Amino acid sequence: MIILAKLLKALHSDAGPWQLAFGIMFGMMMGLTPFFRFHNLIILFVVLFFRVNLATFLLSFGLFSVFALALDPLMMDVGESVLLSESLNGLWTAFYNTGLGRISQFYNTLTLGSLLISLLFAPILLLASKYLVIQYRQRFLAWVEKLWIIQLVKGSKVYQIYQGLGG
Amino acid sequence: MNKLIRWPGLISFVVLVVAAGSIVFLFLDTWIKLAVIKGLENTTGAEVNIGIVSHKFSPFGVMLEDVQLTDPDNPANNQVQADLIDAKIDLAPLLLQKVIVDDLTISGLAFSQPRVSEGKVYRESKATEQGTAEVADGIEIPSVDELLANSPLKTTQAIEDVQLSYEKHDAELKTQYEALPSKQKLADYKARFKALGDTDYKNPAELATAKGEFDSLKKELTKDKQKITTFKDALKQAKADMSPKLAQLKAAPGQDYEQLQGVIAGDSGAINDVTRMILGDKAALWSDYLLSAYQIAAPLLKKSATEAEQKRRAEGEWINFTDDVPLPDLLIRKAKISLSWQQEVIDSSWTDITHQHEKIGRPTRFNVNSTSSQLWQSLILEGNFELVDEVMKASQNWDLKGIQLKDLALLEEQKLTTRINSSLLSSSGALKITDDLMDGSGKIDLNQLAMTANGSNDLTNLIANTLNGLNKLSIATDISGDFADPDLSFSSDLDTQLGKALLGNLNPEQQSKLDELKQKLNGQAAGPLGKSNADFARWQDWEKLAEGDLTSVNDMLKSQFTSALDKQKNKLKDKLKEKLGFE
Repeated sequence: MIILAKLLKALHSDAGPWQLAFGIMFGMMMGLTPFFRFHNLIILFVVLFFRVNLATFLLSFGLFSVFALALDPLMMDVGESVLLSESLNGLWTAFYNTGLGRISQFYNTLTLGSLLISLLFAPILLLASKYLVIQYRQRFLAWVEKLWIIQLVKGSKVYQIYQGLGG
Repeated sequence: MNKLIRWPGLISFVVLVVAAGSIVFLFLDTWIKLAVIKGLENTTGAEVNIGIVSHKFSPFGVMLEDVQLTDPDNPANNQVQADLIDAKIDLAPLLLQKVIVDDLTISGLAFSQPRVSEGKVYRESKATEQGTAEVADGIEIPSVDELLANSPLKTTQAIEDVQLSYEKHDAELKTQYEALPSKQKLADYKARFKALGDTDYKNPAELATAKGEFDSLKKELTKDKQKITTFKDALKQAKADMSPKLAQLKAAPGQDYEQLQGVIAGDSGAINDVTRMILGDKAALWSDYLLSAYQIAAPLLKKSATEAEQKRRAEGEWINFTDDVPLPDLLIRKAKISLSWQQEVIDSSWTDITHQHEKIGRPTRFNVNSTSSQLWQSLILEGNFELVDEVMKASQNWDLKGIQLKDLALLEEQKLTTRINSSLLSSSGALKITDDLMDGSGKIDLNQLAMTANGSNDLTNLIANTLNGLNKLSIATDISGDFADPDLSFSSDLDTQLGKALLGNLNPEQQSKLDELKQKLNGQAAGPLGKSNADFARWQDWEKLAEGDLTSVNDMLKSQFTSALDKQKNKLKDKLKEKLGFE
């Protein structure tokens, strides 16, 4: 309920479409890749330090974590084929023997495969999200505001408390 | 700038990271404990308990106290337990999923110790061997006819051998015998020789004619002599072939009787395995100590190799690229393991414990070299093992001297209890493992042995009496089979001693069966033996006859021919002297 409320608030707030879109993109990256990885710490830092929308980030993270369960085999195969590619062997070996290489745990097929796929889809998702946010605000915002369910949410105690906390 | 940056977010990030770090720090010991328990339980298939887990960061190390691994075969006991396991771990390789332990100390290690409460078993292990019920209940004694029908008898074989030998030689001998010169012919030769010798030859021409006749006769006689000689040779060969077979036929019923009387007397199966039955469980425990390197360490290492493969699909595969310094996934560079035995401690040193020996290019080595203590004179054990492609290759030698055994229960069953009151145990041996298969042998000597044994029926009382009379016992051990589940076989002269004792304590029914057995075995051999003896006697008669004929022929060939010539020569000399006037 809080996430939904937060999402509604974000969509209906003054937050820029880029902020929302970046939240979705970073949430997707963290959701698809294994949680306890070094790159996720960097994502968390970026999301918190820069004005990335937290509501869309959390919603996207939750949603893509579920998708990841189904996509894991595909992502592992991608990671394996890239890591075992003979032409890249020199690069991986050099990286493997660096501190950053070890911390990044790139040599895990799921880690590299999921990171590569999420990076591949990141710009697409970013632009698509921004477009959808703009379209939503232009076409559906006024209509949604009038829906009884939104009135119900906005009138709920949780929403009031959330507003009261300055969320 | 503030449009882009969220300063409270930075604080949140720091707070989050510190909180996560604190949680890791606070619960690290618990996580380590749970991870180790889960890992060991997966490996052993039975409950694992760890008392306290603690860690330190510089140098990074983990300490486990009161570690107990339940024996899946006997959940009331721990398969192995340790008071303390202290590992100093290299942190950097952990990022590469490699556990490199620079220094490992295990103290208070002990096998087969009772647990406070029975441990849970998650995976059934191999069934424990049963030995005592067999001895106590005995085996149904077969009838004499069944026994004779089912046993590979030496008597039957000996009869067959004698018959074959007879058939092989007799026809040929008979033909040759019939072709020999008859008595009449020999007498005729004699008469003709005599006539030639006795004739008074008037002149040299007559002498020359006689000489020609004599030579022709001699030629004929030589041919007959050849026949006699050939026959004698064939006879000699036949006798040489037949004699030992006849002797074996005479001895076979006795040998069969010796072999089968154990079955009639009682429980031959139990007698043959009594060493294992009485010492087996304890010797298996001793072997656990001796083979602990393979029984405990190697399966754990082998398992970790297999588990790595099983986890592959669950969390992705960790691809290894060439290390600057090649490292296996698990390596314990140096370990000191202290085994507790009674009130003494046996220290062992280990190097390079891993399951990927191909990466370090050398095997895991271990050795124990313990000098005199209150409980032993010397313990020397050294060995090595390596796992290449999950296949074990190893070797081990041991030489243990003067280990004191006191008040040691060997067997505690309702029908038989045995206990070593005191003894000095020595053992030496060697073991090799190739392609996971063990091949080794050892000797266990129990000197200054004092035992107490009690039985509850005829058979177990007999065993108990024999054991009570022992003052030393030498046991030969053979080790074979898979290293994870070795086959141990034991043999000693105890089996023979018990067999003899058993024969000295027969009941009337057993005695009557034994008599029947003896009678039937002798009966089986008697017919063929009588016939063969008669045949053999006939051959001997032939031999005597041929011998006589040959002597007679030889005499004829030598003396008669010489004397006739000499006689005529002398006559001619006398005549010549007369004519020349010499007197």
